[in-house]
Amino acid sequence: MRCWRRAALEFPDGLAVLIGPNGAGKTSVLEAITLACVGVSPRTASGGDLVRAGAEALWVGLDIGYGGQLERREIGYAPGRPRRLRRAGQTVRSLGEWRLPGALLVFLPDELRSVKGPPAARRRSLDRLLEAAEDGYAAALGGYQEALAQRNALLRRVRAGETASTGLAPWEARLSELGARVAASRRRATALLSPIFARRLDELGGGEGAAVAVEASIPEFATVADDRLESTLARALHARRERDIAAAQTTVGPHRDDLWVGRGQRDLRRLGSQGEQRLAALALLLAGRDMLSTTAPAPVMLMDDVLSELDPPRRAALLRALATGGQALLTTADPLAAAEAEHCGATRIPVQAAA
Amino acid sequence: MLTPSIERLVTELARLPGIGPRSAQRLAFHLMRDAERAPALAAALAAVSERVSLCPECFAFAEDGRCPICSDPRRDATLLCAVEEPSAILPIEATNEFRGRYHVLGGALSPIDGIDPEDLRIAELLGRVEGDGVAELVIATNPTMSGEATALYLADLVRGRVRVTRLASGLPVGADVEHADELTLARALLGRREL
Repeated sequence: MRCWRRAALEFPDGLAVLIGPNGAGKTSVLEAITLACVGVSPRTASGGDLVRAGAEALWVGLDIGYGGQLERREIGYAPGRPRRLRRAGQTVRSLGEWRLPGALLVFLPDELRSVKGPPAARRRSLDRLLEAAEDGYAAALGGYQEALAQRNALLRRVRAGETASTGLAPWEARLSELGARVAASRRRATALLSPIFARRLDELGGGEGAAVAVEASIPEFATVADDRLESTLARALHARRERDIAAAQTTVGPHRDDLWVGRGQRDLRRLGSQGEQRLAALALLLAGRDMLSTTAPAPVMLMDDVLSELDPPRRAALLRALATGGQALLTTADPLAAAEAEHCGATRIPVQAAA
Repeated sequence: MLTPSIERLVTELARLPGIGPRSAQRLAFHLMRDAERAPALAAALAAVSERVSLCPECFAFAEDGRCPICSDPRRDATLLCAVEEPSAILPIEATNEFRGRYHVLGGALSPIDGIDPEDLRIAELLGRVEGDGVAELVIATNPTMSGEATALYLADLVRGRVRVTRLASGLPVGADVEHADELTLARALLGRREL
């Protein structure tokens, strides 16, 4: 795939650094691993971009496992044909059954969006973590989004005078039930995540007193008990009906929540410098690994070109953090950064795709 | 190499659910091979389209007026079971647990697909609930997003007039608790019964 005709790589248990010049295919290695775990690339939505120029198809095989038990995962793709997924030699038809959402945490340079991006980007990074951490979260969120699409469609039809607004009630009941589950999970997860995030950011040299918290679109959500979330959401949806019909969309609910990322009173999302935001995004990712590691094997960290953006003390702090706690793969084009990583115990893996 | 008539047959077969162009061809050639197959199938299709209509009471399939269930005096007229499609009646009948009558809604609410309450046979259902001496409405719509919303909508409409019940969601018989998906298990817990 990408620039690779054929390659086989083996990664050590702890930290490894992929070193090679620009355009050597380092990021493509991380991309291939992601593809073999979740079936989509973090860089592009179009599978066609992944196939090497001049090739007809791509194939990635990944042996992944814990405690010596390896499992072979395979993905094959050719433009215009259905994706082929295999696990342990057996064809798997559904992507949902095949993907391993909790196996990886990926940091690409645009992962900064989890701090400075729009609310949707922050929600998405929290949701990805929750999908891996909690059975049933993905189903609740998917159901919520389905009910939301139905209510929005109905709001449009009511505004156009095609049907009566009495039909809104059952969709609001479904939205409230599923939305309450999503909101409760997000609240529980951020409460767990916040102190770990604070510790990780401090370790990386980002200072003390950091926190994350859900900023709900319904103010009462901050104080109401879990078993009252459903009725609170139902009331809010009912109260907004007139406005929602006029706007032809649902203006309250977990799909409008944001994640506060800050230190003390300082809102790092809007006021943080590029450097502060980068450290916060890294600390969030490390905190996510810590959180997932309490209930499951530690996810593998894939970090693309992150060292060159940090000053020497923070770079050393990140390498120290990655040297323990599980498997991590870094890419860099900078020989000095690679040497520093090796000094922290990283295995050096030179990368150069044949031209 | 296909004659126009075979071509037409293949096209019609391929319109059936779950049948692609290749299967349609295979079926067509199979029908051609046996001289009695095609006329028998043609006669069956003709009979279905001529004789089968919808029961004016419950909107299930019927021949010569009312369907066999609606015209059976032994069925309990105080029990009414609302389903999305006629195909749901067969499995419920197979349980031998239900002795009431049915009402086919003709689908489930789905604003995205433009299916509003007016598009389902809800007015007819209300008419039956009010007129026929019905004591309980059993809502047997599918446990999908649309089916659940339809169930909630119906329940709101008839609440206070008759008893409203919903088919339970729960563990499949003979399966392990540990393999149940979380959503089903949560429903099963909510709907647990006294022993």
